[in-house]
Amino acid sequence: MSIFEKAKMAYDSIEVPRELEDTVNRTILDSNVVQKRNAVKQNRVIKSNKVFKNATRTNRPLIVFRSFALALIATFALFVVLLNTNESFAKAMQDIPAIAGIAKVFTVREYKEENETDLIDVKVPAIQNTGNSDLENRINYEISSKINDVIEEARTRAEEYKNAVLATGGTMDDYIPTRINIDYKITYQDDNFISFVITKSESQASAYQEQYFYNIDIQNGKELNLKDVLGADYKQIVDESVEKQINERMESNSNNMYFTKEEGGFSGIENEYQDFYINENNKAVIVFQKYEVAPGYMGIQNFEIPNELII
Amino acid sequence: MAAVAQEILIEYIKENQDKLYKIAYTYTKDKDLSLDVVQESITKALEHIGSLKHEEYVKTWFYRILINESIKSSRKNKKLEEYELLDNVATDKKYDEELIESIDIYKNIQKLNEKLKTVIILRFFENLKIEEIAYITKTNVSTVKSRLYKGMEELKKSLERSDCI
Repeated sequence: MSIFEKAKMAYDSIEVPRELEDTVNRTILDSNVVQKRNAVKQNRVIKSNKVFKNATRTNRPLIVFRSFALALIATFALFVVLLNTNESFAKAMQDIPAIAGIAKVFTVREYKEENETDLIDVKVPAIQNTGNSDLENRINYEISSKINDVIEEARTRAEEYKNAVLATGGTMDDYIPTRINIDYKITYQDDNFISFVITKSESQASAYQEQYFYNIDIQNGKELNLKDVLGADYKQIVDESVEKQINERMESNSNNMYFTKEEGGFSGIENEYQDFYINENNKAVIVFQKYEVAPGYMGIQNFEIPNELII
Repeated sequence: MAAVAQEILIEYIKENQDKLYKIAYTYTKDKDLSLDVVQESITKALEHIGSLKHEEYVKTWFYRILINESIKSSRKNKKLEEYELLDNVATDKKYDEELIESIDIYKNIQKLNEKLKTVIILRFFENLKIEEIAYITKTNVSTVKSRLYKGMEELKKSLERSDCI
């Protein structure tokens, strides 16, 4: 028996963890979902481009009017397409008749960029039609400067990674361009409140997926924190509920794993500025990023808190 | 074509997941890191399967991604030099003399440099052909052969050293 045949025995006996199968299935599922989402997104862009072309042709004589009409049509097209493609958006609109007329979160900027280092696909949201222009200016400025920073950081990382590949003897063939994607999702909106999530993902390392949460009280012109929506006992409410749900998830499926307290797992939220969003059931959903409370394969963790909101 | 290749890929991954894990483990020496490598490789492969021109290369193409990810992860996490492989071996086999010798050799293979280790894993653990290994490592047949030879030499040397101790 050669030494390699001997070594193969140890190799074959490496114990495969129980959660492997679940990790594999979940990853395949997630990737397929992502691909479908991308397909829908491309469709959406093509559709609105079409509207643009038609509009240009028919409105040629009146230039001022044309640009106004274009903007109107573009807004309308985006709105319609959003309604059709973004399930939760459509659902949110149906469920809340009071706002059927006016949407408050829009895409103000959408761009794609492709070069040898990275492929960027960004949608920048902004709030509008709230009747509170100070609030709009402040929030929109914050969003757009945050997104600029995030893209800049991601670009730098992509560049560093490319240089590392080249420095270690790789060629450009070995380098897969970093895909940087920024998109948002409206999770709740009515006349008084808007809640939406901006998600940034970078393909080189899934650990670099990050989310930013906006929960806005339009009337009072401020961002809501957990104390505002759950009251003074917010910490106790959240801690108990999250802990209970973690235990339930681990009991219901042995592949669900969370870090213990000793391993740096969940040991209570720090303060009222913990990440959360408001969902279509008008409940607060606490969010932990990948690796925050569980191993990487568990992904981002969401916990809906059953208590009624006090807003 | 892309849809067919994707199906072949998914089927291949599902059927060979244990193998994929063991390859990743040979580089990372850590359970969670290996799970992350498998996950990252699947995501990357499914994302780029459209760029694969010939579906008969699905398997070797995926090996290439998996090995790149494994190397990347092991470079990032160099800390795990000493660890207990026996912890990761099924309990009923723990006291087998032959297995203990086998583990010793395996650990020495893990210590080889990335290039030598890669050809040894693919050739002797995964039973791939020299041509396939050349494709995966983006080299040619004679480079693979010389790495196998060099890997064998270095492995023997390091085993002799550990015998002395």
